[in-house]
Amino acid sequence: MASAPSKLYADDVSLVVVLLDTNPFFWSSSSLSFLQFLSHVLSFLNSILTLNQLNQVVVIATGYNSCDYIFDSSLDLKRSLENGRMPVMCSSLLQKLEEFSFKDEQLSKEEPEGRIKCSLLSGSLSMALCYIQRVFRSGALHPHPRILCLQGSPDGPEQYVAIMNAIFSAQRSVVPIDSCYMGAQNSAFLQQASYITGGVHHKPQNLDGLFQYLMTIFAADLHSRSFLHLPKPVGVDFRASCFCHKNTIDMGYICSVCLSIFCKHHKKCSTCGSVFGQAQSEAASASDKKRKTPET
Amino acid sequence: MASRHVTKRAKYKTTIKDPGTPGTLRLTLEKILFVPHNPKSAGKLDVEFRFIKGQKHTKEGSNKPPWLNLTNNQNGSFIFEFENYSDLQYCRDFVGKVLAKSGEVSEKPTVTYPDEQLSAAEMELRIKLLQEDSELQKLHKQFVLSDVLTEAEFWATRKKLLDTEANKKTKQRLGFKSAMISDIRPSTDGRTNKVTFNLTPEIILQIFAEKPAVHRAFLSYVPNKMSEKVFWTKYFRAEYLHSTKNSIAAAAEAAEDEELAVFLKLDDILASEARWKIRRVDPTLDMEADEGDDYTHLPDHGIFRDGSKDMTESQNELYRRTLSQDINRHAAVVLEGRAVDVDLDDTRAVAEALAWSKQESSTKRESDGDTNQERLARVSRMTEIEDLQGPNNLPSAPLCIKDPRDYFDSQQANALRTSGDALGRTEQIKCSLSTQEVYGSLRQSISVIKAMGLKDPIVKPEVAHQVFDALTNSISTTKYHIGKNPHESVLDRLPKKTKDELLHHWTSILELLKHFWASYPITTSYLYTKVNRLKDAISNIYPQLEEIKGSVPSELRHQVSLLVHPMLQALDAAIQHYEADMQKRSTGSVDKPNGYV
Amino acid sequence: MPQVKIIAKNFMDMVASLPAIKLDMLYRNQFICEAILRSLPPLAKKYVLQMLYIDVPITSKSLQEWVIADGSSKHKVAIDRLIQLRVLEVIDRKKETAYKLNSTFQTNLRKHLINGGILPREPMPSNVTARLPTLEELDAYAHGQWECFLLQLISSGQAERSTSFSSSMMRIFQRGLLRQREKEVPRLTESGFQFLLMDTNAQLWYVIREYISNSEEQGVDQADLIAFLLELSFHTTGEAYSLNTLTDDQRAMIKDLADLGLVKLQQGRKESWFIPTKLATNLSVSLTDSSLRKQGFVVVETNFRLYAYSSSKLHCEILRLFSRVEYQLPNLIVGAITKESLYNAFENGITAEQIITFLQQNAHPRVAEKTPAVPENVTDQIRLWETDLNRVEMTPAHCYDEFPSRDVFEAASDFARVHCGLLWEDPKKMRMVVKAEIHMLMREHLRGNK
Repeated sequence: MASAPSKLYADDVSLVVVLLDTNPFFWSSSSLSFLQFLSHVLSFLNSILTLNQLNQVVVIATGYNSCDYIFDSSLDLKRSLENGRMPVMCSSLLQKLEEFSFKDEQLSKEEPEGRIKCSLLSGSLSMALCYIQRVFRSGALHPHPRILCLQGSPDGPEQYVAIMNAIFSAQRSVVPIDSCYMGAQNSAFLQQASYITGGVHHKPQNLDGLFQYLMTIFAADLHSRSFLHLPKPVGVDFRASCFCHKNTIDMGYICSVCLSIFCKHHKKCSTCGSVFGQAQSEAASASDKKRKTPET
Repeated sequence: MASRHVTKRAKYKTTIKDPGTPGTLRLTLEKILFVPHNPKSAGKLDVEFRFIKGQKHTKEGSNKPPWLNLTNNQNGSFIFEFENYSDLQYCRDFVGKVLAKSGEVSEKPTVTYPDEQLSAAEMELRIKLLQEDSELQKLHKQFVLSDVLTEAEFWATRKKLLDTEANKKTKQRLGFKSAMISDIRPSTDGRTNKVTFNLTPEIILQIFAEKPAVHRAFLSYVPNKMSEKVFWTKYFRAEYLHSTKNSIAAAAEAAEDEELAVFLKLDDILASEARWKIRRVDPTLDMEADEGDDYTHLPDHGIFRDGSKDMTESQNELYRRTLSQDINRHAAVVLEGRAVDVDLDDTRAVAEALAWSKQESSTKRESDGDTNQERLARVSRMTEIEDLQGPNNLPSAPLCIKDPRDYFDSQQANALRTSGDALGRTEQIKCSLSTQEVYGSLRQSISVIKAMGLKDPIVKPEVAHQVFDALTNSISTTKYHIGKNPHESVLDRLPKKTKDELLHHWTSILELLKHFWASYPITTSYLYTKVNRLKDAISNIYPQLEEIKGSVPSELRHQVSLLVHPMLQALDAAIQHYEADMQKRSTGSVDKPNGYV
Repeated sequence: MPQVKIIAKNFMDMVASLPAIKLDMLYRNQFICEAILRSLPPLAKKYVLQMLYIDVPITSKSLQEWVIADGSSKHKVAIDRLIQLRVLEVIDRKKETAYKLNSTFQTNLRKHLINGGILPREPMPSNVTARLPTLEELDAYAHGQWECFLLQLISSGQAERSTSFSSSMMRIFQRGLLRQREKEVPRLTESGFQFLLMDTNAQLWYVIREYISNSEEQGVDQADLIAFLLELSFHTTGEAYSLNTLTDDQRAMIKDLADLGLVKLQQGRKESWFIPTKLATNLSVSLTDSSLRKQGFVVVETNFRLYAYSSSKLHCEILRLFSRVEYQLPNLIVGAITKESLYNAFENGITAEQIITFLQQNAHPRVAEKTPAVPENVTDQIRLWETDLNRVEMTPAHCYDEFPSRDVFEAASDFARVHCGLLWEDPKKMRMVVKAEIHMLMREHLRGNK
């Protein structure tokens, strides 16, 4: 007999919220073309939906200036005979994606040049969590949710606080964040996100086989994961961004009241307003830095 | 301490089987004295407390008699059997205190910071904390007993632990007494016909709460029509007449005095309230009690109003109804709790405050009128009983900042990592195209895929196979590297002794550094000596760490040194800071008139 | 008392038992491939996905590599199932087992991922059909129809009433659930009573299975029926589909399915059509019992009283099978489990275990959180009362005596013990009783000793 009935469906029913990196600056410089990427991801999504009738997929586009829901299988999963060329879900997704890209471009016109070309990961993470919370609260039964970040753009250090907050709230509501990073160097944010929430982080070596990576690693539902070895990254990049200049640092000052991180000494904490004691003399200050993380 | 000595009757036994010698046990702060009742018997005992190591005792509720077993430091024991458990508890507490005290004295021989006067309870709490947490005890032993830290300093950083006990007692609001007002008995002096009622502010509040009609009458009559005293006299007169069932007399008096009549009438406010309540009863459940539950008609059962049970049958029915109404009303008031928070001595103010809070709830009730509709809908739906529905809590895991020990792992792995991930430099995406162009190319890909469909095959079988093989390979190698269990950490591969030592050093270093950094800036001579003490302790750790490194087999040495490295770094930073500070002190002492030199 | 236990065997077991040629035929149909994939255990699904684009055989070792020690049994189950269904082909070479996906299955699934699912048939345009029932109405209809079917089953066992069910459905009942002696009202058989205590999904599959094997006797191909049923599950709930698109066999089947509430039939001016209900579309959902699990409603107290928050007549009837229903409030049925009521149930062939599982599976969510959901004293007592009835156990056996020597006797008794057949022995008088099953073996053994 089944143990205590939870509010979950059967073991392997999952809700996958996919965060799609649509940062045009990344895709124009990436070795993997957006065309290939889309075709891998779309067939992956289709296979998730095929696995179980109750499975649900939500796609959120993570743009350069904005993010938005572009697909929700619970809304438009009507099988219709529209065209036999590709899964029906794809056409509606692509339509939305195109509209999204126009909107995103509009917004970037007001943007000054010279920003780091990162995508708005913090926004889409929060949207994903909001969606999942809504699922939690509605109805008696819900599938087991997880988030999958398909990211290629580099980390935006200025999003550090927002992303960390999202990560902690995901951990609190037991939502694993899987991440697949396709960019050149690895992403510290995503590593930490997956590490803290108990998800899987992987950086594919061979991007032509992205589909195979997705199927082998990220298609595994949470129930099966308890029986499987999934690739475990060796070591996690725990570095933080300072709150003052948004630099990525591995040594810095920490406010003893609110734990805000600064790359250099301040008179007053910009977050909580605590007044810090007098700085030590210049000679001493070098050694005065408290360690945030062990040296990498 | 509450008492300096305790004397109880007890039996002294040398073994458990021994029937025991009856006598008197006298416990003082220094000694245990046992004098048998029979002066000839051999059981006389005179032991000093400092020989006593500990105590054991039987639990109340177990089938054993109340025994107290005191063990001395030669592994002998003295067993006392008490007459009852309360005696045992008393003695046990006393012994506990004495032992705690003597233990404490022996633990900290000389250094007691002068302004520290601890009560026995605090002491006991500290001892308990130390006993419960072996890690804490180790640290305490290491630093406090070796004079690196004083007792006060050690505990100052753990105020939270000490506070917990006190915090457990939350303040509770005083509620109504559960005694009913009908229990206010008049006291008669037997000789005269005078009947006296004792009225306290507490009782007045209760009367107001339970009898809305009296409350209303009070508001309208006092002080315009009559004084407070007259009011209460009239009230109790009516009450008295009612309780003695002197209905003729009551009717006669009521005819003369209209105010008195108010009290004798049935409370109409209560009646309307009851009607309102009945309307709200959920009809999906039949709450009618079983006939068998009602045994008030049996002799010696039920509650009587004033001790007189001689009632006629005709009265009985009415009486029973009013009694149950009274009880229900009383229960409701007690459950509602104290609605007003004013000074009880001013009766008028109490009455008004009560009236005000009533008004609030009645406006609430009016809005309830709409809910009638909803209630009907509910009935039709035949919903489930509320208390059978599950709690509406969402699943949530406790927020967990990972165990700092995990950082050992990442440390290790980062050191192992061969492929340079180019850490530390944010690579800018080389972007030769304009914003417009990049968005254009993105959309072009979208329209291509819209027109052409998905690529077929999505991946080439060779590539897929290659990827799968690579992944399988990496899985099996990490399994080899990290051991069978994926959660196993680097630490687990070290010998247990080394692991324990490392962890212990880590905690003790943290403790020392915490105190060290907290002492800056040095403003008093006390801090100055403390820093010096700490610095000495810190420098003592270096050779110990070296020793650990040397003690492990060579194949593990590299890993251990990786683990020790951050500790050394942290210590170095402290020493460096100390030296820089000292230097500054010696050169720039003139600049700091307030600072200690 | 004979122990009858009907097992709701999985539908996929039935598919798996089809001959290889028929299975390969089935896999030519895309729906079947999709339905089979959905029916697999989670790990098996993952294996299929990761091998989907690999053409060369994968060694079993490389699959095993991914599984942690605790999961090896799950891994074995998954692989066995895949081989059973012929989704995986086993290739033995160089002493190493390797697997490869069934190529028809593989191609169809790949096609499905890239092209998307095709619909089995097109729904009728809304201008042809009249107002279609809403999803809620449809659910209520399906539920009502199913309950009606079960009530029918109960009442036909109790009172004579003309059944509204078609004869083919009645035949299914008579296959196992009902027993009709001449000139007597049909009675529920032991399996019939047990059937009532199963959960809806298991009941549905039981009926479907019986239906299929029943139709097979009448010459309808089993594979065709399975294909049609799976196809049916890919129709959209609540859409109307024309009956004209069906073959004769299928049309006959649809009528029977309508009786069970799997589809709703409607008649328009010219055409008639069927509307699949949730029961039908759930046919291909991974066939675990939990996915369709409904909220429980029964609370059992330690004093053997039983409260069921339900207004359903069916629930009341089911509870009546093993308890004494005392009163029925609008939303609550109160009963008591008594020795008499249980004896009644045991006489009908219901086992204690079945009653206990029923109580546990239908436990009210609030008590289901606790372990045990049904108080232990109650479950123990139910079991005790059952064993009360089974004090004597019959085991066919043979008695051996007059052994020529003690050695022969001891050798024989050891032999019997090794084969788990020794029931009783008396070393003094050299006699023993041995289970009938191993009588032949014993004889061989004794002969050999001579």
